[in-house]
Amino acid sequence: MHMGESYKRNWEPRRGGRSVSDESSASYYNVPVIHKPHWKWLIIWYFFLGGISSASYVIAAIADIFGGREGDRIKRVGRYLSLAALIPSPLLLILDLGRPERFYLMLRIIKLRSPMSVGTWGLTIFGLFSALSGVIQAAHDGLFGWFKPLNRVLLALPSTTINGLGAVFGFFVGGYTGVLLGITAVPLWAKNALLLGPLFLSSALSSGAAAITLVLSLVRGTNHRAIARLERLDTVTLLAELGLILLAQANAGPVISRPIREGWLGNVFRWGVLGTGIIAPLTMQIRAILARKQPSRHAAMLSSALTLIGGFLLRYVMVTAGRVSADDPQSTFEFARKPPK
Amino acid sequence: MANATINLIDKTLVGSIGSRPGALGFLTDTTLCIGCKACEVACKQWNQLPMDDFGWTGHSYDNSTDLSATTWRQVAFVEQITNGDGRVHEMPPFQSNWLMLSDVCKHCVQAGCMQACPTGAIIRTELDTVVVQQDVCNGCGYCVPSCPYGVIDLSPTDFKAHKCTLCYDRSKEGLEPACAKSCPTDSIQFGPVEQLLERAKQRVAELHASGVQSAYIYGDRSIGGTGGIEGDNAFFILTAEPEVYNLPAFPVLPQNKTGAAFLSMFGAAIALSIAAVATLRGK
Ligand code: SF4
Repeated sequence: MHMGESYKRNWEPRRGGRSVSDESSASYYNVPVIHKPHWKWLIIWYFFLGGISSASYVIAAIADIFGGREGDRIKRVGRYLSLAALIPSPLLLILDLGRPERFYLMLRIIKLRSPMSVGTWGLTIFGLFSALSGVIQAAHDGLFGWFKPLNRVLLALPSTTINGLGAVFGFFVGGYTGVLLGITAVPLWAKNALLLGPLFLSSALSSGAAAITLVLSLVRGTNHRAIARLERLDTVTLLAELGLILLAQANAGPVISRPIREGWLGNVFRWGVLGTGIIAPLTMQIRAILARKQPSRHAAMLSSALTLIGGFLLRYVMVTAGRVSADDPQSTFEFARKPPK
Repeated sequence: MANATINLIDKTLVGSIGSRPGALGFLTDTTLCIGCKACEVACKQWNQLPMDDFGWTGHSYDNSTDLSATTWRQVAFVEQITNGDGRVHEMPPFQSNWLMLSDVCKHCVQAGCMQACPTGAIIRTELDTVVVQQDVCNGCGYCVPSCPYGVIDLSPTDFKAHKCTLCYDRSKEGLEPACAKSCPTDSIQFGPVEQLLERAKQRVAELHASGVQSAYIYGDRSIGGTGGIEGDNAFFILTAEPEVYNLPAFPVLPQNKTGAAFLSMFGAAIALSIAAVATLRGK
């Protein structure tokens, strides 16, 4: 803490403290009341990639079961994408530890009240499912023709059932990251403890749908109907995301929501997350729907790219704004101002 | 204490702390603290904690300002400056415009740090204190934002979480912790929580009788140890609002909401999967 403009005390002449509701009064030299987490880029990237991996897997499962013939293409891309996005995830998490060589100690115990503990287990189980489905898909695509025994085993496995079961864990991995943030003392997160899980989950699904769309529209022989369906899923999840994010901001109130309204982060939130990442792709998709047109390949590519950028920025803003809100004593005081019922 | 906060307190919970019988803790009576920082030094010495950034804060006589992985006792010098003009207009006979608070880990009855810990490194000892096992901690850092008081932190040297152990190595042998031992005014008192609580109630009554109406206990179920924390084994006697000392008035245990948060996430999962089936359906 350094002396700066931030330090201006205006205490009442008498001892006995200031009114808690007087927002202008500073705290103890603006020293943060709580300590912020150290999480930065590694965690932001994990939140983004883990979201894509889990959502692609979920989308693959649903397309496999309900999607018919076009569902097959979605399923195929979804399974590969899930595995590809999954591989860096544990590495990012382990590198973020203070003592990476001790990562396995997370797996010596399970604590149901700790989202970090439950999440580690969920990610481990989901990782096994994602890897298995990816390999099965590869076998179906003939990539294991050189190794007959393995190929035979993989082809004999019930791929739809495995994918469907794993999708339960996929949903979990897509959303628990929001719960993880919410179950802390950080005002911006804790205030929205019940909203961050659904928010991260719908954002994961929109990113997953967008990532699959992007891949599908890049490969030759684009299937318009598959892309149109994914675009519709993208629209629904983006709408959910928009609603939840505005709800979270309102729920935080004027003091606690400051980091996502003011300064650099406020701008990234407004123009990056809301504008570029949600409103822009939504406008494109809704206009196409109103005009009863199939989205063109390039339009689909653009709107999925925007959705992906928005998904990343949402995670960047939520993690960083949480750190800012933890550093703001007034935010913590506001959060702890009334006796909980 | 100003009325704003005291009016919100549930009077039936004043002076109640939910710790186990025989739990050990601290009573830190800030009305006796003279700000000598002997506790800070004694803590560093006994626990062999490295020095922090060695410099001036430039805004206070207090140069350590915050608890950290290497500062487990921290004496805040809360200077009661007058209205903007920088001049003291009135010198009260008691505490002379200075509030001193030796802050420390609260050894919460239900501890946020401990419930957050995914490795089980943070444990509750047989003395009802909360301790980080250094050979298990892997530095994930989840305990850090999970402490509602901003106590525990990751060390920049060994990257693991550290905080006050209530001098486990001393207290389990019946010795008082280094800070309490060194405190020249007995502002820091160590012992069984029930005894300390009785003493604290007496002391507050004494203070009230001698005219310090603002004295109160911080860290019971009514204020400071609220929201499922069930009170603090290390509690305080304060004479101003908690915020003045940089303490939250009504903290909550973050893990209170774990179940509800997961439920709401699964609710969203069901709604979103219906949406996904509806949009991806085909023949
Ligand atoms: S005060 Fe913080 S660090 Fe100490 S036991 Fe409570 S939650 Fe843990």
